[in-house]
Amino acid sequence: MYSSELIKGTLKTIILKLLSQNDKMYGYEITQKVKELTGGKIQLTEGALYPTLHAMEAQGILTTDVVNVGNRIRKYYSITQTGKKVASEKVNEFSEFIDTMIFLLDLKPKMG
Amino acid sequence: MYVLKDEQIKFILEDIRRNGIESEELQLSLLDHICCVIETEMLAESHFEEFYRSILPRFFKRDLREIQEETNLLLTFKNYYAMKKIMLNSGMFSAITFIIGAVLKVMHLPGASVFILLGIVSFCFLFLPLLSILSVKEQKETKDKVVIGIATVFGILISLATLFKVMHWPFANIMWIVSLGILFFLFLPVYFFTGIRNAETKINTIISSILILTAGGLLFTLTNLRTSRWTDESFYNSDDHLRDAALYASEQNQIAFSKDTLSLEAKTLHEKANALCTQIETLKTGLIAYSSHGEEGLTEGQLIRNYGSSLNFASDFLFDDKGKARKDLAQIKLDLADFNKYRESTLKQKPSNLLALEDVYKFGEKEQGKITWEENNFSHLSIATTLRNFNQLLLNIRLVESSAY
Repeated sequence: MYSSELIKGTLKTIILKLLSQNDKMYGYEITQKVKELTGGKIQLTEGALYPTLHAMEAQGILTTDVVNVGNRIRKYYSITQTGKKVASEKVNEFSEFIDTMIFLLDLKPKMG
Repeated sequence: MYVLKDEQIKFILEDIRRNGIESEELQLSLLDHICCVIETEMLAESHFEEFYRSILPRFFKRDLREIQEETNLLLTFKNYYAMKKIMLNSGMFSAITFIIGAVLKVMHLPGASVFILLGIVSFCFLFLPLLSILSVKEQKETKDKVVIGIATVFGILISLATLFKVMHWPFANIMWIVSLGILFFLFLPVYFFTGIRNAETKINTIISSILILTAGGLLFTLTNLRTSRWTDESFYNSDDHLRDAALYASEQNQIAFSKDTLSLEAKTLHEKANALCTQIETLKTGLIAYSSHGEEGLTEGQLIRNYGSSLNFASDFLFDDKGKARKDLAQIKLDLADFNKYRESTLKQKPSNLLALEDVYKFGEKEQGKITWEENNFSHLSIATTLRNFNQLLLNIRLVESSAY
């Protein structure tokens, strides 16, 4: 499992990428999906997830849809058009960052 | 899969609220998340409350309230960087435009007002409010926030007062006095007494307070910056002498034109001159009443002694917003032209420079373009100079008229 410092800077990118691939997701689902996709190596902390989701909603990057699930309310998040742009920007930025880090730390990319 | 009961969900929700999650949306989001965790991870034989307590620490490092604080921070600071950028850019813009405006103003070059206006307006309504908002957010204590708030109000008011003074707009002085009042009686005491109680800031507070007091004092000395009494008196004398001269010339002409030996044409010219002078006197009376700051029965001399250098009134009274002369002034010009024409065509007299009505170069400079006779003589002038020019006109009419006998 990676340290929370490493994950913190990429939280927004991860959420946006996931939501641009899925129609709509709720908070718990997002954490589980990330865990599943990374084989447990990345576990989003709830303490960081919800503030980020709420902030992105306020910025118009995400929209929400409220659904009654049994006796409680579930909030589904989906990505807006603006959000899609931000998502691709974030992914590109991160990709460049990785290239830079590979060069900076003199890492040899794993083949295959 | 474990199925939560209604009272358990209620219990979780209340516990979340108790632990400092204030916003309803966040409460519901967390509630659903916790419920999901319990439903998927809790074994049937586990104890609900124990299990709930054991998973809760996943959500925080210190306590649950962190999530609320982090959300608030992200929501309030969502525009933080944009605000900071606008603040810095507007600050730069204000400084540059204001300096350009001030230099142009000092050199009497065109465009000064536009630059000064842009500089001060962006300073007051973009830079200062943004600086204030960002600074207030960085302060933890209420008293520091109050100090910043008062300083902002003072800064905006004194800048606007300066703008109004430079532009010769009304209410400049009252704004100036109010802003200095805020500085001396509100800002300085609050700043001084909050700063001096803290041992760390004590010396800095004392020094800054002295500097603020001195700077404020310097600004205060500029408040009633007006012409000296000697200058006002010179306006008065100049106007008084001209009025006397016009009156004397008028009396002499009344005597001269009453002689029977004069032609009918000459007498008609005299009547035209009398009519013109009456029109001018009426206009002057209106202007004096308009410029008397509400004091009734002020004579021309008293007005000039008290408010002679005031620039606000004469132009406002004689010209409309578009700079067009009011009807009776325009009529005086038409009648003067008629007077000149009658002299030259009927009485066969040479045109006189004393009553020339042609457009002239603004400030005597060709590149400034031409302005009309009425703008040249009565626009953008102090009340003393405007009245003096009317008296000069009265005298000139009488002098030109006297050539007919």
